[in-house]
Amino acid sequence: MLDSLFLSGWGAFGMVLFLLIPFLFVFFYVVFRKSFVDSNPGTTDAKKYVRLEGMWIGLVVLVFVGVNIASIGYMPTVSTAKAATSGQDIIDVNFTAKSWVFDFAEATIEVGRPVRFSGKSLDTMHGFAVYHPSGKVLFTMMLMPGMEKPTSLIHTFTEPGTYTVRCLEYCGIAHHEMRDEIVVIKGTG
Amino acid sequence: MLSATKILRRTPVFNRMFAVDESDGLEEINSWPALMIVTSFVWLAVAGLLGVAMPLIQRMDLGTDLYYMALTAHGAALAFPFVFQIMVGISLHRAGGCVGKPVSGLLPALIYLCMNVGAALLTVAILLGFSVSLVMMYPLPVVGVGNGQWSYGTLVLAFTGIGLVLFSMIVFYPVQMLKIMFFGQKRPDLILDERSINDPGMLGMALAALVLLIMGTPLLIIATYVLVALYGIIPLGAVAWATEPVVFQFAFFTFAHNLMEAMALMVISGVYATLMLYLADGTRQLYSNRLANLSLWILLLTSFSSFFHHFITLFPNLPATLAYHGNIMSWGTGIGAALSIFTILATAWKHGLRMSAGLMTVLMGFVIYILDGASAVVTSNVAWSFQLHGTMWQSGHTMTVLIGVSVMWMGVIYHHYPVMTGRMLDEKLGYWFISLFTVGAVGAALVMLAGGAAGMPRRFADWAQGGWMVYGDLIQLFGLLMAVGLVLYAVNFMKSRQIDALSESPATAPEPAE
Ligand SMILES: [Cu+2]
Repeated sequence: MLDSLFLSGWGAFGMVLFLLIPFLFVFFYVVFRKSFVDSNPGTTDAKKYVRLEGMWIGLVVLVFVGVNIASIGYMPTVSTAKAATSGQDIIDVNFTAKSWVFDFAEATIEVGRPVRFSGKSLDTMHGFAVYHPSGKVLFTMMLMPGMEKPTSLIHTFTEPGTYTVRCLEYCGIAHHEMRDEIVVIKGTG
Repeated sequence: MLSATKILRRTPVFNRMFAVDESDGLEEINSWPALMIVTSFVWLAVAGLLGVAMPLIQRMDLGTDLYYMALTAHGAALAFPFVFQIMVGISLHRAGGCVGKPVSGLLPALIYLCMNVGAALLTVAILLGFSVSLVMMYPLPVVGVGNGQWSYGTLVLAFTGIGLVLFSMIVFYPVQMLKIMFFGQKRPDLILDERSINDPGMLGMALAALVLLIMGTPLLIIATYVLVALYGIIPLGAVAWATEPVVFQFAFFTFAHNLMEAMALMVISGVYATLMLYLADGTRQLYSNRLANLSLWILLLTSFSSFFHHFITLFPNLPATLAYHGNIMSWGTGIGAALSIFTILATAWKHGLRMSAGLMTVLMGFVIYILDGASAVVTSNVAWSFQLHGTMWQSGHTMTVLIGVSVMWMGVIYHHYPVMTGRMLDEKLGYWFISLFTVGAVGAALVMLAGGAAGMPRRFADWAQGGWMVYGDLIQLFGLLMAVGLVLYAVNFMKSRQIDALSESPATAPEPAE
């Protein structure tokens, strides 16, 4: 449940609707009612406003804190740190990006084994987004030229297949052609 | 006569839409703002046409170069000479009228000239092939010269234009606002509706001017150094520190992010001020000034460092802790927004609303702004950022915040227009505009967010590559609705009628003066 919320763009879209729809409902109700049905000043008790105010702020804080705590385990920053200290054998995939190609060092990527992607840009800003064969973005990284350390994170693939890599930072007139593939094979055990 | 008045009088269409009323002795607060507002509409028309053209270019396979040119020109026209300029025009008018100070002299002229000449130079550079999307892709503008995408001369032209725009936004405009609000002699003859700086309708404007000046200064220094080096006055090697991508990027985003937040602060203040004027019981009181001001203060404080959310996917070059900080600060701005939602609804409930096309436009702008806020906080969450950064989601967010803010201003104009020109806008046409435009804007925003959720990249000339063309078609459809709305909005100014000539009862018309 939380997996599909925090590990997919559609989960994010669902969260926007979750925040938006109740707002729209209440907003339009109040505005419509107080403009066209009964624009007389409300007779609501002052105490009630204060109570409502407190409830509203409490609810907002609760939702905000809840979402951001629940998401911690799904942050690649957190899962990368976890994988790096787990003692597991990590496959290193180093690459560079320049307009408009990626250049990978040779590596065999297996299902179930953590892969550390580390990339540097040699000219301008580039992205490195890995797309699942279904078209879903697994993760994206931003490569800024001139950095001493590469941009890097650890990802563990769960399915074999051919994954598409795209640059998601606009990098000039052939940006849309900056594309590559990585092949993930079934683990040998 | 002010030079702004002369330009307004002598320019065709401008003189029909925004001929300022010179008989009321308010020329000094009316002219420059009116000229800025009507000029911003020209840029809106340019941006709108390009926006509608973009999906068409992809659908009809008119070429990727053309797409990137339209993309760059669209963003350049929309963000600065339209949204920023309309805000400058209205906020100067509001500030001048609320404290009784003239908007005349050198500063407004500099704001106007630097903004429009700068944007025009940038546009020429774009037509010459300078397709950088936005300068935030630095060092692309320089790299593009190196690999032959555009010429050195084009780069210099574009950066000159951007430099002028930055001087307008970071120096001349904030200084003019601060001068009006904190310095100089008050002139009773120029007071339209006196407000103190503690008034929620004023506070946001003062905070925003300070934010622009303070957060923009580092970028201005860096940009000036780079520009001077590009002209060959100092060797490029001497500005190596400033041309370092990480330096430029961080200086740019501390400004660009806070620019957006400053516009939000300013416009929320404008919403409070307008709402007060359209209450059914005529009390001109918000539900609570303290709560209204608190929302502005929270917005101000949380927005400063939330810009880190632009760099979350740079990990570990942006430390995880700063990514999380940006995450939390961004959601903190949401708390500010929640307080302003409560203030607006409680005010409406307590005092009732005297609905008008202008107020409706302001409120729909607020709805669009809140929709954008939801998309913004979600993509600022570290987990989601790794899936959404660089996708159409971000374009949807950028477009929606710009539209939300500008629609609120476009609503406020209904209230200022009679003061500026002595003429009235048509209410019915106003309702048609905002209905069509809201459906278009909300539709386009949701489609763009959905495209991002489906992995559709932003600033990408080949939507067919991943089967994303359907999102492009829907964006086109909703874009056309927005365009029709905007045409109606413009027609309303062309058709505006002299207030004296009106025979309707004054009760149906907004008060001509604040
Ligand atoms: Cu690239």
